Amino acid sequence: EEHEDTLARRTIIEKKKEAAESALLKREKEEAQLRQIRAEEARAAEAARAAEQQKKREMERMKQEQEKIRKEELKKQLDELSLDAKIDVENLEDLDSNQLRAMKLAQLEKEKREMAEKLRITGKRIDHLERAFRREEVNVLPKDFER
Amino acid sequence: MRPILLQGHERSLTQIKYNKDGDLLFSTSKDKVVCAWYSVNGERVGTYGGHTGALWTVDVDPTTTILATGSADNTIRLWDVRTGKELKMWEFQTAIKRVEFSEDGTLLLAVTEKRSGHLGTVVVFPITVDVEAEQVDKPSFTITFHESKATVAAWSYLNKYIITGHEDGRVSQYDVKTGELIKDVQAHELDMQITDIQMAPDRTYFVTCSKDKTAKILDVNELKVLKTYVTDTPLNTAAITPKKDFVILGGGQEARDVTTTSQRQGKFEARFYHKIFEDEIGRVKGHFGPLNTVRFPPLLFPSITSV
Amino acid sequence: MAPHREDGYDDDEEIDFSDLREQYEVQLDEGLDTFVVVDGCPKVPADSRPKLIKFLCKRLTEVGHISQDSVFMPLNEETNMTEGYAFVEYDTPDQALLACKQLNGMALDKKHTVYINKLTDIEHFGREGRIKEEYVEPEIEPFVEQEHLRSWLSDINSRDQFIMYRGENVGVFWNKKKDVPEPVVDRAGWTESFVQWSPQGTFLTSVHGQGVQLWGGPGWKRIMRFAHPMVNLVDFSPNEKYLVTWSNKPISIPENPPPNFPLGSDEDGKSFIIWDIKTGNLLRSFTSVEVTGDRDAELFEKSRKKVSWPVFKWSSDDKYVARVVPEQSIQVFETPSMLLLGKKAIKIEGVVDFEWSPSIPTAEKGKKEPAQLFCYWTPEMNNQTARVGLMSIPSKEIIRTRNLVNVSDCKLHWQSEGKYLCVKVDRHTKTKKSMYTSLEFFRVKEKNIPVEIVELKQVVINFAWEPKGDRFVFITVDEAIQGAQVAPKTSVHFYAPEKIKNGIGEFCLVKTVEKKNSNAIYWSPKGRFALIATVHSQQSFDLEFWDLDFEGEKQKQDKASKNKDLAANLMLMGTSEHYGLTDVEWDPTGRYVATSASMWKHAMENGYHLWDFKGTLLREEHIDKFKQFLWRPRPLIMLSKEEQKQIRKNLREYSKQFDEEDQFEAEVANKEVLEARKRQLDEWRAWRARIEKEVRWE
Repeated sequence: EEHEDTLARRTIIEKKKEAAESALLKREKEEAQLRQIRAEEARAAEAARAAEQQKKREMERMKQEQEKIRKEELKKQLDELSLDAKIDVENLEDLDSNQLRAMKLAQLEKEKREMAEKLRITGKRIDHLERAFRREEVNVLPKDFER
Repeated sequence: MRPILLQGHERSLTQIKYNKDGDLLFSTSKDKVVCAWYSVNGERVGTYGGHTGALWTVDVDPTTTILATGSADNTIRLWDVRTGKELKMWEFQTAIKRVEFSEDGTLLLAVTEKRSGHLGTVVVFPITVDVEAEQVDKPSFTITFHESKATVAAWSYLNKYIITGHEDGRVSQYDVKTGELIKDVQAHELDMQITDIQMAPDRTYFVTCSKDKTAKILDVNELKVLKTYVTDTPLNTAAITPKKDFVILGGGQEARDVTTTSQRQGKFEARFYHKIFEDEIGRVKGHFGPLNTVRFPPLLFPSITSV
Repeated sequence: MAPHREDGYDDDEEIDFSDLREQYEVQLDEGLDTFVVVDGCPKVPADSRPKLIKFLCKRLTEVGHISQDSVFMPLNEETNMTEGYAFVEYDTPDQALLACKQLNGMALDKKHTVYINKLTDIEHFGREGRIKEEYVEPEIEPFVEQEHLRSWLSDINSRDQFIMYRGENVGVFWNKKKDVPEPVVDRAGWTESFVQWSPQGTFLTSVHGQGVQLWGGPGWKRIMRFAHPMVNLVDFSPNEKYLVTWSNKPISIPENPPPNFPLGSDEDGKSFIIWDIKTGNLLRSFTSVEVTGDRDAELFEKSRKKVSWPVFKWSSDDKYVARVVPEQSIQVFETPSMLLLGKKAIKIEGVVDFEWSPSIPTAEKGKKEPAQLFCYWTPEMNNQTARVGLMSIPSKEIIRTRNLVNVSDCKLHWQSEGKYLCVKVDRHTKTKKSMYTSLEFFRVKEKNIPVEIVELKQVVINFAWEPKGDRFVFITVDEAIQGAQVAPKTSVHFYAPEKIKNGIGEFCLVKTVEKKNSNAIYWSPKGRFALIATVHSQQSFDLEFWDLDFEGEKQKQDKASKNKDLAANLMLMGTSEHYGLTDVEWDPTGRYVATSASMWKHAMENGYHLWDFKGTLLREEHIDKFKQFLWRPRPLIMLSKEEQKQIRKNLREYSKQFDEEDQFEAEVANKEVLEARKRQLDEWRAWRARIEKEVRWE
């Protein structure tokens, strides 16, 4: 009986042990799963962060590229304009295309004005020279008739 | 300034007139219909139907009671302005080219066309300005043109004279009491038809225009040419502005005379001239055919030109 | 007294008054002084006469009384038209006198102005006029005539004249820039087909069925007549000594010519006449050269169709005149004998065309006579290459030749001083499938006459030297696209020499302007400015005003010439359009340019536009039936190089004076406009006040 009891106890102990073990195992398994999930989450987060960073960098680069192109374009346009007023190429951030267009217009307007003025002077000189010649020529006309 | 386009006629316009208040505008066209419009917004008020031929001319008495029209169907008709009812019809042998009420509305003149066997005339009817009244059947007198026919005619101030413009470029002055010719001047180039005559607001002077490409201002008493406006196109119509010293001239090559159909060729612009200095001030483009008729409302600003 | 017939082509056509005169002579005391002669009336058919008389009466009664019966308006029996004048009787001599004073010069209408004179005055002056014709004419001494003929050059305002031919009227005007041109003379029916100035502007040529007439002097009197029935074209020698007339119909002399027939039997069958302008003498007449085209029937046909004028070409000093006998020879005649130089034509087998050098000849050392130069060309034939040659006259020595292959056509362009000759060679590829042009430049004044070549891929349709300059412009046309509706685009090319020490460098491209419609080049006669235009087109009417010596910043030039210093600074000064444009004419000073639309080409917006050299529109007039606009040429400047230099040096002084004058004139003009306006306004207001008072009273 005692033996049986012992046996029974052993069995119970055995069972308890088993149960405890399996519980432990289960817990361990659960924990491992949890860890794995966490790790995965962390990895995903990390990946997302990296991607974000990458994107941000890409954007930055693009922006820089665009700015560079814009600057180059502006510079080219400015060169074309051959503006009299010197413009600080490094401070181009302040210039937008509207302003540039306005400058361009002003420049064209100025060129037109200058040309008109130059041509006015040219025209006047030609006119006055012709008239001066004629005024003197009138004096030699009678001589010409006698020839 | 924004132009208002009055669309309603199906064929070319022949004449337009404002009533004395300037709130109504009447138009005639070759499409046999007379239209009345609100001048302020260009909305059509109504039409006067009955003529069986192209309409040449329209006028309204100073009280905006009776409307007179003349047509290629050889009739003059009087209409009740309000109801559109036909009040009277006079029949002739030839087309009616012009009608005009005298300053006080008591007389109506009409220019009749010349056709084989029929000389051109101006007839004058006394009018009772009342839609209920019975109008006379016969004209009080007739002026007959044995030489060159009249193309246009108008009343002077105080119904003193009838001024006629002729096919051969002459302008004549007739006594209203006797119907006799008093004066006669070769105002425009010989054999260049006078195409329009419009009185100044006080009817002491008038503007004429002609196919000779000029318009002139003459005074009604002496028929002296006071002003001449030289253009580069045959003129169909001329108007004097009631305020400010302008005249507006319109014309252009007739479609059949234009060698190419370009708008540029036709010179279909309304031309503004300074009445006293005779200088051209500006042109208004936008017409696609010759201008046939130009009018000024008595006092409102918008002017009407039409094709 | 009013001129009776301003055109006055033929005095014989004038009405013979002698019978009338005789009739009236005895009646002189019988109150002839109530009669006036009204001249300048319209000419109307007989059945319109009563109307005209009636109309005239109305106008003439302003100063006195006349009845319609007292107007006598003669009828031309041949034409059954009135003669354009009338005899009118007033009631009293005073009225007749008043009519002469007040109504003389009265405008009947736009076209007709009447001149009223007393019949007795016509008698009086008519007689004087006759005496003048008989006695004065032979007494005119040459230098008196000269003084008259160049009087227009002494205009105190230094303006230029131009002629306008519109409708039936020919008028000479002073250029007033933006203002209405000031008329000098305007006559109806002055010419029957066209008008033409002589090369130095001395004479105005009118062309009629019976021949041509020259007019000039301050009174625009007829200077000379040259009878050539059915004359078509006229050409002057450069110094206005000789005249060539041509009719496409050979002259036919009737078997029994009437006593005054102007031409003799020598002229029978002739097409050309060469005249001495001063004497009016006929020097020699010529038949047209018939091409004996046995070699190439096609060429024969081509040359017959193409009338290239002038046919007789003058050396720059009027000493020689020459023409080509196609494929055979060049005939050089000496003036004034009109005999062949060396008694025979210069045989040049195959010759197509030739051109005299425009340079003024100077006697070379060791040679008696100053030498003239002309160039000619012959096409490829009998296995020989095409050839351009330069020949010296009178020696007939060939001083330079150049052989060319694959030649379709050549055009010869001399620079205005004879410094360069450009031969425009239109060539074909070996397969004859495509065409291209090469320009061959002969530097005539340089040793051994070197030749420079500009080879192109396209065909040149127009070439022009800068007058008195070293630059040129030409226009090429792109290859036509098969089946395309629009005409192929053109390109305009500007060339200038490279600046080098001692001489003129190589010709280099300054700029090419592509994708244009331009087809014509008009250089200012003084050089520097060029107007590039699209003429005779239905779609484009472009005008581009170029400056080749722009005084501003140096402009970019073509890439190929990038590192070269060229003698040009090209600038587009202005662009514009003239709808319907057919003709372009620079004034002789190069300050103004007129563009016109002539009814001879089309009926769209006939008239003219006047621009300044930089393309500012000064004036535009649309005139019905506008035909010709021609600036009056001027003779060469009469000041020496030294005098000119002196003036240039003192220009500032002159300039000050001109500025003052211009300002004063502008002020006067402004004042005049203002005063005229004020007068008009006052008149109008006075009239209004009067009429308003009258109306109120009535």
